[in-house]
Amino acid sequence: MSYQDWFRQDRLPHIYCSGCGNGTVINCTLMAVDELGWKEEETVFVSGIGCSSRASGYIVTDSLHTTHGRALPFATGVKLSNPDLNVVVFTGDGDLAAIGGNHFIHACRRNIDLTVICMNNQIYGMTGGQGSPTTPAGALSTTTPYGSSEPAFDLSELAVAAGANFVARWTSYHVKELTRAIGAGMRTPGLSFIETMTQCPTNYGRRNKLRQVTDQVEFMKNHTALRQKLDRMRESGQKVPTDIIAIGEFVRRDRPAMGVRR
Amino acid sequence: MRLVIDQDRCKGCNLCTLVCPYRIFLPGKTLNRKGVVVPELDRPERCTNCRLQKLYGRTLCGLCVMICPDQAIRWEEEEPHEPHKVAIEY
Ligand SMILES: Cc1ncc(C[n+]2csc(CCOP(=O)(O)OP(=O)(O)O)c2C)c(N)n1
Ligand code: SF4
Ligand code: SF4
Ligand code: SF4
Repeated sequence: MSYQDWFRQDRLPHIYCSGCGNGTVINCTLMAVDELGWKEEETVFVSGIGCSSRASGYIVTDSLHTTHGRALPFATGVKLSNPDLNVVVFTGDGDLAAIGGNHFIHACRRNIDLTVICMNNQIYGMTGGQGSPTTPAGALSTTTPYGSSEPAFDLSELAVAAGANFVARWTSYHVKELTRAIGAGMRTPGLSFIETMTQCPTNYGRRNKLRQVTDQVEFMKNHTALRQKLDRMRESGQKVPTDIIAIGEFVRRDRPAMGVRR
Repeated sequence: MRLVIDQDRCKGCNLCTLVCPYRIFLPGKTLNRKGVVVPELDRPERCTNCRLQKLYGRTLCGLCVMICPDQAIRWEEEEPHEPHKVAIEY
């Protein structure tokens, strides 16, 4: 099989805008699933509401496209009622961190054996570009017309603090590393959280001086650095620019997990 | 194998032009029948995977296929195999 066989070919091309990073993240996820050799009938994709959450509908396996923010409670139900299933959650930053924020920290605390893939485009894409809890300070959106004045959530650090067993962050530019991290997360028992910074050219890039899709991806490439490297810079007393995003693996540990296959 | 861009799926985002180490993808210049400016292929027979996939028995590179958000890039089998003369400048 190849990753293409996991797509519902009759539903392609998908509705995403030209250059939307969500499509890349679906590719990487399906390549990881394909490499692991999971079976279609044993795999379930669950998602909430948002552009990112439409991903589950393009995949041949059974999937649940649930209500806004509630992907994790639905996924918890699926996994605990049948621990033999592989459950993967697709979610957006608004879906996971705003309306679904509480579900997120409690799913991490319970450490349920899910793989949660968050496509963090730092904006509410589907509803027209309102600011989300991860919109960086100073960024323009329809609800922050003078630039966001709030600090943004660091979702990966939040997941580490709340107790997830595996946490990693990559971007939709780092396709190989992202695929490897998703595979590692899927193999780890307990909650695996993979945050991917993605581009939303329509609602984020267009408002924030990143007019071309490639500009936004180049920006991600130039404004990310490995976590370990940033730590080393801090230790040696160097100043780390505030707009650099830490990428890489954040944690891999063995806390007691729920819903692990018997 | 031969590298192809699906004219019905490509939305012209040019992300493929960013990742190919051989710069096989070049930004296109003309609209296709769907009104999309699809990238042009510059000597696609240079693609690592097209040349060496059979020899190694696994996918090599594949960055363009992975990053293409619209699943528009694929490799096609050539039947019968057409030998290409490939010049790669370093
Ligand atoms: C209960 C409820 N509140 C609000 C909405 C409207 N709504 C739909 S999608 C969305 C935001 C989605 O943003 P995000 O999760 O970041 O996904 P993206 O579209 O950016 O991928 C909102 C607020 C809704 N559908 N249901
Ligand atoms: S609005 Fe943004 S997130 Fe939604 S499909 Fe378009 S580019 Fe993607
Ligand atoms: S597989 Fe690699 S070398 Fe071949 S066209 Fe794609 S990016 Fe270029
Ligand atoms: S990455 Fe895919 S959709 Fe974008 S221009 Fe290249 S072939 Fe077309």
